[in-house]
Amino acid sequence: MSTCEMLDLGLPGVVADGLQVAATVLLNEPMATNTWRMRLGSPELAERMRPGQFFMARPVGLSDPLLGRPFALFDTQMDESGRPVSIDFGYVVVGKLTRWLSQCAIGTQVSVWGPLGNGFGPPAGNHLAIVAGGIGQTPFLPVIRQLLGLQTYGAAPSPAWPKPARISFCYGARSQSYLAGVADFELPGVDVRLATDDGTRGHRGYVTEVLDELLASADLPTSVFCCGPEGMMRATARRCRDAGVPCWVSLETPMACGFGACFSCVTPVRQPQGDWDYRRVCVEGPVFRAEDLVWEQGI
Amino acid sequence: MPDLSVQLNRLRLPNPILVASGTFGYAREMVAYADFRQLGGIIPKTVTPQPRPGNPTPRTVETAGGMLNSIGLDNDGLETFIAKHVQPLLSLGAPIIANVAGKNTDEFVAMARRLDEFPQLAALELNISCPNVSGGVDYGTDPGMAAEVVSAVRGATSLPVIAKLTPNVTSVPLIAKAVADAGADAVSLVNTIQGMAIDWRRRKPVLGNGLGGLSGPAIKPVALRIVWQVAQAVSVPIIGVGGIQSIDDVMEFLVAGATAVQVGTANFYNPTLATNLVGELAVLLTELGCDRVADVVGTLEFPVRR
Ligand SMILES: Cc1cc2nc3c(=O)[nH]c(=O)nc-3n(C[C@H](O)[C@H](O)[C@H](O)COP(=O)(O)OP(=O)(O)OC[C@H]3O[C@@H](n4cnc5c(N)ncnc54)[C@H](O)[C@@H]3O)c2cc1C
Ligand SMILES: Cc1cc2nc3c(=O)[nH]c(=O)nc-3n(C[C@H](O)[C@H](O)[C@H](O)COP(=O)(O)O)c2cc1C
Ligand code: FES
Repeated sequence: MSTCEMLDLGLPGVVADGLQVAATVLLNEPMATNTWRMRLGSPELAERMRPGQFFMARPVGLSDPLLGRPFALFDTQMDESGRPVSIDFGYVVVGKLTRWLSQCAIGTQVSVWGPLGNGFGPPAGNHLAIVAGGIGQTPFLPVIRQLLGLQTYGAAPSPAWPKPARISFCYGARSQSYLAGVADFELPGVDVRLATDDGTRGHRGYVTEVLDELLASADLPTSVFCCGPEGMMRATARRCRDAGVPCWVSLETPMACGFGACFSCVTPVRQPQGDWDYRRVCVEGPVFRAEDLVWEQGI
Repeated sequence: MPDLSVQLNRLRLPNPILVASGTFGYAREMVAYADFRQLGGIIPKTVTPQPRPGNPTPRTVETAGGMLNSIGLDNDGLETFIAKHVQPLLSLGAPIIANVAGKNTDEFVAMARRLDEFPQLAALELNISCPNVSGGVDYGTDPGMAAEVVSAVRGATSLPVIAKLTPNVTSVPLIAKAVADAGADAVSLVNTIQGMAIDWRRRKPVLGNGLGGLSGPAIKPVALRIVWQVAQAVSVPIIGVGGIQSIDDVMEFLVAGATAVQVGTANFYNPTLATNLVGELAVLLTELGCDRVADVVGTLEFPVRR
């Protein structure tokens, strides 16, 4: 049995050509309140990562923090010959490892492994609505770039995605100062719709209310992609279910390995027989059809 | 090139670097990071007779220099293991040691009998030490019951039998002696050390299961102490496990008296480590002028009190 046959057991996020490298910090700058952008030099990783996939990062040679933490691909940079050479990710400082990241000087070595996870596929239909909150907007920059035909990702470029007539990018944060990288998304063909809890920019209130407007409009989204805090994803999934619009969510479950070895990242997923089973988010996700998930707080 | 092969009674392994149960999935997950053919042995996740959903989340939390886990033996049961995993595992080119856990002696025996149908397996490792499973008898803490399981399993299979012991007892040598006398080919020392993490603001344990097992660099001193104590007291081959993350750690276990080692938690944060250690061990033994691994096993010079 070849390795590929061996892998074909319903684990789309087992990436056979993943690798672990020590990458160099090339840039580490604030993007918004408590939010940073880091650039890591690693052609090996940059040329493999696809939209919606993630990688794990940890300090080289330290035992505290010990385990890697997952971060999503935000952007890829090319050299003059068009070869991907580095990747960007955005991060919010919430704990031990992200605090360490925020203190990393240029040139620091970071141990990274990936790509990991299934990533997003091409959306259905001609109007993609993206709903993002927290730091959940970053995975959507490569999604949008690929959809607009601005860039392809991955070692063997996947077939060009059909370009939807419309992309609505709905992005919410607590306040204007927490909105990170909005300018990156202001691309021709992208309708950027912002929301802040305090109304300092865009709609005052939740980003899901911006989605409500879209779902009530004549130009109903044909697919919804969502990433952000659990409550926001649940609310989005519920609205999409009620409106009959297919919805994909990218879960941010805590992870210890990222590649399927530890069984710590599980979430209850509906099974064909009608019951549920804990499935590993890192190798069966992180992107799931919302209707396949059993939302533990109820939907 | 030194001879890296090691002998643990009936079990012969090409080298002493194994990967520990529950930290290497079913191996296929590691395909990008490990060179299976190089490894001294692969021990897949514990299998139980029936499927188990495992414990509620959060199942792991990082602690200083280590982690707590309460996975709860999440697995699809023995028959699914056989249908889905055994042949792919056996095709990897490394010795495969199936790790099993039962609630009572009959369950252990039934599993051993069924797995005896796969003589290509290198051995069975009996998980009589998992702190995450309630409802079953805690075999690992009682020398009499540990011995009973081991001798019953020996009667049910011709595969070599390894007993994996818990450190959560007053005297591991006592249990090790009992399982050795009952016919265990080797003992794996140690499983995780019971612990807990608390979110005091919520007045709640962090883990969904409340308690968990501590692993990683934080437990290495405890594992070394237990390996050394057992090596002093019992003449059974030892597989050392607990916090190994470098070739120096491997050497410490060998010197303390282990014939082989397992890499556990480090697979999560350094998935290429186990493969690399095999080459590093060969280089180091050559530098030391050792022809065989056995030349360093149990060479600790413990200070003698005058
Ligand atoms: C697929 C995926 C992609 C992701 N992508 C990104 C991304 O691109 N950018 C990003 O910023 N994040 C992302 N995340 C989330 C990110 O991985 C986490 O924010 C990160 O792991 C935090 O690590 P830390 O060491 O800083 O925090 P930790 O110290 O691990 O703490 C994490 C959280 O748990 C809480 N916590 C920790 N210990 C305890 C305790 N003992 N009791 C109670 N609470 C505790 C902390 O307060 C904090 O809120 C992603 C997650 C996934 C699964
Ligand atoms: C997440 C996790 C899951 C584990 N699952 C098992 C298991 O299923 N069966 C078992 O015998 N040991 C299991 N262990 C214990 C390890 O095999 C090993 O004995 C222990 O972690 C100590 O080694 P380490 O410090 O190198 O990790 C598990 C450990 C961890 C961290
Ligand atoms: S993070 Fe280890 S299995 Fe998913």
